[in-house]
Amino acid sequence: MRDVPVIDASGLTRFAHRRHPLWWGIIGLVTIEMSVTANLIASYFYLAARAPAWPPQGVAPPDLLWASINVVLLLCSAFTMWWAGWGINRHSQSILTLGTGLSVLLASVVLVLRWINFTDLNVQWNDGAYGAIVWAITGFHFIHVASAIVGTAVVTLLSWRGYFTKQRQLGVVVDTLYWYFVAGIWIPFYLVLYWTPRLV
Amino acid sequence: MPPDASRDILYETWQSPPGFLGWFTHVNQRMIGKRFIITAFAFFLMAGVLGILMRVQLSFPQNDFLGPDLYNQIFTVHGTAMMFLFAIPVMEGFAIYLVPLMIGTRDMAFPRLNAFGYYVYLIGGVTFFASLLFGVAPDTGWFNYVPLAGKEYSPGLGVGIWTTMITFIEVSALTAAVELIVTILKLRAPGMALNRMPLFVWAALIMAFMIVFAMPSVIVSSSLLILDRVLDTHFFVASAGGEPLLWQHLFWFFGHPEVYIIFLPALGMISTIIPTFTQRPVFGYTALVLSLVATGFISFGLWVHHMFTTGLPHLGMSFFMAASTLIAIPSGVQIFCWIASLWGAKVSLKTPMLFIVGFFAVFVMGGLTGVMVASIPFDLQVHDTYFVVAHFHYVIIGGSVFPLIAGLYYWYPKVMGRMMSERLGWVSFWLIFLGVNITFFPMHELGLDGMPRRVYTYLSEMGWGPMNMVATAGAALLSAGFFVTLANALWSMKHGAPAGDNPWGAATLEWATTSPPQPYNHRNIPVVHSRTPVWDWRGRDERPVVGGLREDRRELLVTSVLDAEPMVVQVAPKPTPWPFVSAVVASLGFIGILIHPIFFVIGFFLVFFTYVGWFWPRRPWRED
Amino acid sequence: MQSALDPASTDAARIAELWWWMLAVSTAVVVAVLALLAVALWRGRRGGQPTSPRPAWSMVLVGGVAAPLVASVAVVVHSIQIGHAIVAAPREPAVTVDVIGRRWWWEVRYQDDGGRTIATTANEIHLPVGRPALLRLHSDNVIHSFWVPNLQGKADMVPGQVNDLWLEPRQTGIFRGQCAEFCGTQHAFMAFVVVVEPEDDFRAWLRREAAPAASPESPLEARGRDVFLAGSCRACHTIRGTTATGRTGPDLTHLASRRTLAAATIPNTVGHLGGWIADPQSVKPGALMPPTPLPPEDLRALLAYLRTLR
Ligand code: HEA
Ligand code: HEA
Ligand code: HEC
Ligand code: CUA
Ligand SMILES: [Cu+2]
Repeated sequence: MRDVPVIDASGLTRFAHRRHPLWWGIIGLVTIEMSVTANLIASYFYLAARAPAWPPQGVAPPDLLWASINVVLLLCSAFTMWWAGWGINRHSQSILTLGTGLSVLLASVVLVLRWINFTDLNVQWNDGAYGAIVWAITGFHFIHVASAIVGTAVVTLLSWRGYFTKQRQLGVVVDTLYWYFVAGIWIPFYLVLYWTPRLV
Repeated sequence: MPPDASRDILYETWQSPPGFLGWFTHVNQRMIGKRFIITAFAFFLMAGVLGILMRVQLSFPQNDFLGPDLYNQIFTVHGTAMMFLFAIPVMEGFAIYLVPLMIGTRDMAFPRLNAFGYYVYLIGGVTFFASLLFGVAPDTGWFNYVPLAGKEYSPGLGVGIWTTMITFIEVSALTAAVELIVTILKLRAPGMALNRMPLFVWAALIMAFMIVFAMPSVIVSSSLLILDRVLDTHFFVASAGGEPLLWQHLFWFFGHPEVYIIFLPALGMISTIIPTFTQRPVFGYTALVLSLVATGFISFGLWVHHMFTTGLPHLGMSFFMAASTLIAIPSGVQIFCWIASLWGAKVSLKTPMLFIVGFFAVFVMGGLTGVMVASIPFDLQVHDTYFVVAHFHYVIIGGSVFPLIAGLYYWYPKVMGRMMSERLGWVSFWLIFLGVNITFFPMHELGLDGMPRRVYTYLSEMGWGPMNMVATAGAALLSAGFFVTLANALWSMKHGAPAGDNPWGAATLEWATTSPPQPYNHRNIPVVHSRTPVWDWRGRDERPVVGGLREDRRELLVTSVLDAEPMVVQVAPKPTPWPFVSAVVASLGFIGILIHPIFFVIGFFLVFFTYVGWFWPRRPWRED
Repeated sequence: MQSALDPASTDAARIAELWWWMLAVSTAVVVAVLALLAVALWRGRRGGQPTSPRPAWSMVLVGGVAAPLVASVAVVVHSIQIGHAIVAAPREPAVTVDVIGRRWWWEVRYQDDGGRTIATTANEIHLPVGRPALLRLHSDNVIHSFWVPNLQGKADMVPGQVNDLWLEPRQTGIFRGQCAEFCGTQHAFMAFVVVVEPEDDFRAWLRREAAPAASPESPLEARGRDVFLAGSCRACHTIRGTTATGRTGPDLTHLASRRTLAAATIPNTVGHLGGWIADPQSVKPGALMPPTPLPPEDLRALLAYLRTLR
């Protein structure tokens, strides 16, 4: 049997980013992480529903100040990420470097603030189920911010060495996607951990 | 360029490096898929031998062949390994091997990730089994209920190994799932719209989606248990306000879909094999696809049927009872669609078809006992007894293993280039078919007669002796049957009749290439116009393909999700040892947690560095 | 001996009936499916025609949709009715018993009307025939599951919650029960017996159980008591009326009146009792009672004493 070409692929781009399978792969990763998040939040409410008091008698809900500042910082970092991508679409490697660098910096501030203010949670991880789930969720997010930072630091480094171009920016696109997730997921966590114990 | 020269370049481009060290760099989907399958069958053998040991121990009352400590480890390792190390990975392995061939592409979307998933699975599985050799295997059952699995009641290494290794192996299942989803949605040959996809590919796709939504809950539950055990949190410690039932909800929210995760691909195999042996398209393609989708969806609303005895509110449980019985509908639709497919066709009863006929008998019985145990009052009696043991071995062996063995006989020629012996296949089938029924049928009666599961022995006054003896005898037949197939597979590697490209006259694309396929799968990416492309090309002397993909690097054609219109070209990565290195350091981190929590941090950074090595763009940077 | 198909209560009988129904229907379904399959294959052999789509779709709809739907509705409706009868608790219990799952035996406490414990025993539950009994199931360790197949479906004992189970035996007799949730090393031998007897016998039994232990009468028995109280036994066992108040093991106040030892693992005879005390691990490996090597004389005295605890 003879193979007759009826479709010619030579003209198709080899530099897709939003249509690249890796973009879909990151969507897959984010979906998995969302399921994890949903499980953690469901566990939180399950434990809350079964507990006689939530937070337990004598435990104050976590303090709002620094956590709220972190919400703002993370949103800013998402914006700088977006700005970095905007830059590279206009062939500006320096905006890309600056934007991703700023995001890394902002998120690092978040980590430092988080680290020195763990006492804000007003509970220890080994203080019963409430403390356990609050720390687990906080820790879960902490680790994600840390991974996003180290990953994006590498992107910044590559960008500084001039690797990324308007065409060759798949790495930036998928890293940004993941960054949005990490920054965005703090909002539901923040609402659940900091506001539900105050409102109900 | 003359065709032969261009083919040589293509071969060169896609070939895997030879040699022992080369082995650690392979990324091609067929290499990885084959490794998954072989490793999974090896674990099946080991877990099966444990099953036989249990049968020996139970064959008569108050046997002291295995003491309680050993027996408890053995049934835990048997169940855990069968579910996590055999059933899921073997299905993933078949999907990884077959899907790219079936959808007409050269590799998976993320070949290196694929390799990473394999090493994670291999290391996790070997560690898990090794624990049994050192006598420190987990001994709390495959669903590892707390508080028994908590620090207080299981202080040893065993449960630690269960929690860390299960979490670890799930990572491999998740990578394979994402891999499959993206490959299926984005890399199909032009023209293979969703409604022309082979049913096995549909089943693999739905399985992958189920993994994505189900596995995270077991990862969460076992992570919380690791925290309880290592960092003194109290998620599950009732005396400190924790909730033992939280574990059960999280586990079964995964665990129920899990049993369909290992079932759906098997259904896909049946729907693929039947048309070949009837030589006409399957009856009710759309109904079959919808049934798969419906099973996938409904399976997320059934988990409570494993918890009927825990004292949840009766009204709430009734909802789960109704959902559980209704899942008989998608199964029934498929059963009858297949019967309609067979109706009046000249079926050639080769070994794969024999196993499918066996599937009908065994699975339907198991499915009906499933509907029985879905009834709350009846389940209050038989829950945690041998009745349930009988139910799930019927559905798993009948529903998953029979189609799997059918698939083994069916695709072996494609993978190895030689046929398996029909005569041995026939012997194996009858041994397995009789063995399953003789082993597991008496267990229904045992359960109704009050024999709980997970007992290492029983008093002779109980009167359970004779039926246990029968079951043990059946298990001997059963294992003999599997050994015959194993011997058949080994023998046929050298001595089987050469297969040729399409020995069964099948219609799907994996048969449109050589057996075994070349490293690049298909010489040219075919263009598809129907559900049965290979039949379309019968008697013609030309077929439509895609031109213009470069031969000197690994290029894949990316198409659109619904209609598979060509969109862009993906340049896939070359072989590399990084996935192996990554998996090794990741496992160090995971296993290290058993010694000290700091290993989490160490593992985190080591994995990060290997990822940098893995993804770092090598010069010269690609310009076109 | 313990069977779900030999019911001795209304609830168990209802469940058994449900089972026979489901078995009959299922058998019919299996036969039908396999017969259709056989016909399908057979027609092909005979060179018969492929189905035309219409009858094929009817088969799929009837067999694959209508039949399971009807079966589901029937099972669900009937199950909800039975389930309701099992869980609904409008009745006044004639007797309330707290049962606590321990590793690997059962602590049994009878309550008076005011909810105070009047008698504590182990591994043997007595119930009056024809009267509803409320069992309140607890655990302070791992999860166990309380199951007497002849009388009722099982219910788990989950730490941190109390599950209620109603038993209403309709005939006298001795029924064996067994732990049905894997609970560790000796899950296999965590059994018990339920003795269903006429109400008068039951009341008399309960009065005896509520009383403190008998005092030794002979010097041998007195020496036995001293062995018990001087040795390690009292750290783990209670004998009401003596200084032994241990809580790790079963209450032994009326040990001699019980039918079995070690959670219905061995019959309660002097020989087995002696063997158990000397080396529980060979009877029930992993049980949480250590072997107690005693000089033969002491053991003999101890046995004599324990036999008086009627
Ligand atoms: C391949 C795996 C597999 C499959 C396919 C199934 C299929 C089903 N299972 Fe099973 N199940 C397991 C694997 C599986 N199960 C395992 C491993 C466990 C135990 C876990 C453990 O405790 O260790 C378990 C336990 C289990 C329980 C918990 C029992 C207990 O612990 O007390 C329940 C309860 O509802 C249940 C129900 C069902 C139902 C309703 C189906 C249905 O999907 C079956 C549907 C199929 C049919 C009904 C047959 C075909 C249909 C027709 C021919 C149409 C006509 C039908 C009618 C008229 C009814 N299963
Ligand atoms: C995939 C799932 C699977 C499979 C296939 C099996 C197969 C078998 N199981 Fe399994 N079993 C489980 C999953 C499975 N089991 C689970 C989940 C549990 C619950 C555990 C728990 O309670 O925690 C369980 C529990 C369980 C029990 C109850 C233990 C207890 O409660 O105390 C028993 C007892 O008889 C048993 C027996 C067997 C036997 C004899 C086989 C036989 O079929 C095995 C025969 C197979 C062999 C002997 C291997 C031969 C293989 C080869 C030769 C290689 C093949 C290679 C090729 C074909 C290429 N199993
Ligand atoms: C460390 C605790 C411990 C000590 C010490 C101990 N026992 Fe026990 N005993 C137990 C436990 C726990 C059980 C329940 C074992 C089981 O059935 O699994 C038990 C069970 C028994 C039983 C069976 C009760 C029944 O109704 O089934 C008897 C009789 C008994 N012990 C007597 C003794 C005597 C006599 C001594 C002292 C020589 C003793 N025990 C010392 C913990 C102890
Ligand atoms: Cu207690 Cu099993
Ligand atoms: Cu289920």
